[in-house]
Amino acid sequence: MRLVEANGRKIGVFRCAGGDLVAIEDRCSHDDGPLAEGEFDAESCTVECPRHGSLFDLRTGRPKTLPAFQPVDVFEVRVEDGEVKLEV
Amino acid sequence: MSTPEIKVPTLSPKELTEEERALKEIGSDYAERFGFRDPENYLYKAPKGLSREVVESISEYKSEPRWMREFRLKALDHFMQRPTPTWGGDLSRIDFDDIHYFVRASERAGRSWDEVPEDIKRTFDRLGIPEAERKFLAGVGAQYESEVVYHQVREDLERQGVIFLDMDSGLREHEDIVRQYWATVIPPNDNKLAALNSAVWSGGSFVYVPAGVKVEMPLQAYFRINTENMGQFERTLIIAEEGADVHYIEGCTAPVYSTDSLHSAVVEIVVKPGARVRYTTVQNWSHNVYNLVTKRAVAYDGATMEWVDCNLGSRLTMKYPSIYLLGPEAHGEILSIAFAGQGQHQDAGGKVIHGAPKTTSSVFSKSISKDGGRASYRGLLEVARGATEARSKVVCDALLLDERSRSDTYPTIRINENDANVGHEASVSKIGEEQLFYLQAHGLDEEEASKMIVNGFIEPITKELPMEYAVEMNRLIELQMEGSIG
Repeated sequence: MRLVEANGRKIGVFRCAGGDLVAIEDRCSHDDGPLAEGEFDAESCTVECPRHGSLFDLRTGRPKTLPAFQPVDVFEVRVEDGEVKLEV
Repeated sequence: MSTPEIKVPTLSPKELTEEERALKEIGSDYAERFGFRDPENYLYKAPKGLSREVVESISEYKSEPRWMREFRLKALDHFMQRPTPTWGGDLSRIDFDDIHYFVRASERAGRSWDEVPEDIKRTFDRLGIPEAERKFLAGVGAQYESEVVYHQVREDLERQGVIFLDMDSGLREHEDIVRQYWATVIPPNDNKLAALNSAVWSGGSFVYVPAGVKVEMPLQAYFRINTENMGQFERTLIIAEEGADVHYIEGCTAPVYSTDSLHSAVVEIVVKPGARVRYTTVQNWSHNVYNLVTKRAVAYDGATMEWVDCNLGSRLTMKYPSIYLLGPEAHGEILSIAFAGQGQHQDAGGKVIHGAPKTTSSVFSKSISKDGGRASYRGLLEVARGATEARSKVVCDALLLDERSRSDTYPTIRINENDANVGHEASVSKIGEEQLFYLQAHGLDEEEASKMIVNGFIEPITKELPMEYAVEMNRLIELQMEGSIG
C-alpha cells in the first residue's frame, strides 16, 4: 500500500491479487479512522479498518461488515508510461 | 377498601391467585435457588490465563475448521493490542490472567432431558427449567459452563426448517451459513471485549429462520456460571430471512462466589427485509460478575428489531444493544430496565443508527438505584446522511430510592439530515412521600408500598415479557427491594 495526498485528501493505493491497482480514501466512513493503514488482504482485495474492524471491498469502497455501513470514495487508477495516475 | 386504579395483592390471603402467592414467597428460598454451587466435575478445564496455546487448544478440542482457528488467533492479537476501556464502569479489578477461559462440562449436547447428567439436571431443577419447558418452551438450549448440554427443538420447528442449535453444533452442521454471517455484524476488532469473545468463544445459540416462517413460541436458552473465576463467552448468531418472525429469550444467572467472574458475550442478529426479531434478556448474575456484552442487530427494508433488556444482577454491567436500520422503513425498538443495588453499577442503554430513509425507532429506558447503587443510561441516536424522514423517540426515566444512590444519563445524538424528527425525554424522580403516604393510608406497610411503586414504574416494560418472565422479573425486583426501607 502506498499513501498519497491529493487536494488535501489522503488516498491509499493497493495492488490486489492479479495485479489490479485500486485506490480508496484513507478515511473510514464509520468514525474517520485511517482506513488505508489497516490490514490489507490482496487475495480478497479488502482492507480492514484498524479502529473498529470494518472490512471494506477495495474495488467498490463498500463495507462488507459493520460498524461502517456507508461506502468510502474509490478512485480510478491508470498506469501511463510507467507512472501510476489517480483520477481525483 | 377501594383503590380503583391500583391492584393490592397482599391484603386478603385467601383470595390470592397462584401467581400472587408465588410473589409473596419471594426471597424465602433465595439461597436454595440462586446461592448454591455444585461440586466441580468437568471433562476439560483450560489453565488460567490467555495465550495462543490456550486459544489453539480450545479450537483443537472442538475440532474446528481452519478458518475459525485463524479467526480466533487474529482476534487474540486484537485483544492483546487494545487497551482496557476506561470509560463506563471500573474495569481495573479484572485480572485477565486469572480466568479460566474454557471449561467443558460434559461429553456432548444432550438431546433429551433424560440424557442430561444427574448433577447438572439437579441444578436446572433448582432453577425451575424443566417446569418452564413443559409449560412454555419451544426448545431449550441451556448453557452450563461453556457448552450447551441440553438442547431440544420441537419437531414442528424442525419441519419448518428452523435451526436452533448451540453455536458449536451450528458451526459443525451448518458451516456455510455460519461462515456467511459470522462477525459481519460485530467484527473481532470492534472493541476489546468483542475481541476477547472472538478469541475464546464457546457455546451460545445459532438460530436460523427460513423466509416466511413465523415461530409461534419463543425460543429460549438459559445460561449460568458455576466455576469460580470462570469466564463465560457465549456467541449467538440469529438470522431471520425475509418475512420471518422469531422471539428469542435468554435468562442468565450465576451462583454466589467469593471472587469475581467475567461474562463477555457477543450477540449478532441479521433481520432481512420484512422480518421481525425480538431478543429478550433477563440477567441476574450474582453480584461479583462483570457482565460486558456486545449486542448488535442489523435490520433491512421494512424489518423490525426489538431488544428487551432487563439487567438486575452483576457487579458491573456494560451493555448497549444496538440496531442498525439499513433499509427503508426499518424499525428498531429498545426496552431496557436496569436495577442497581448496593455495590452495583448498571451502565446500560442502547444505540440506534438510522442509515436509510423513513426508518423509525424508539428507546425506552427505566432505571432504579438503591442503597448506593449506580444506574447509567448511555445511548446513541444517529441519523446518517441519506436517512431522510427518520423518526425517533428516546425516553429515559430514572427512579432513585434513597439519597446515596446515583443515576446518570449520557445521551449522544447525531443528526445529519434536516427533516429528521427526533425526541429525547429524560426524567429523574425519587419515591415520593405522598405516594408512600397514599398507599400506606390504604393499609400497606412502607416496604409493600415501595415495592408496588417500583413495580408500577417498570410495568410498561415488564408487560412486554412473556408471562413467566414477567413473574420472574417481579420476583427479582422484590428480592432486590427487600430490606431497602428503614
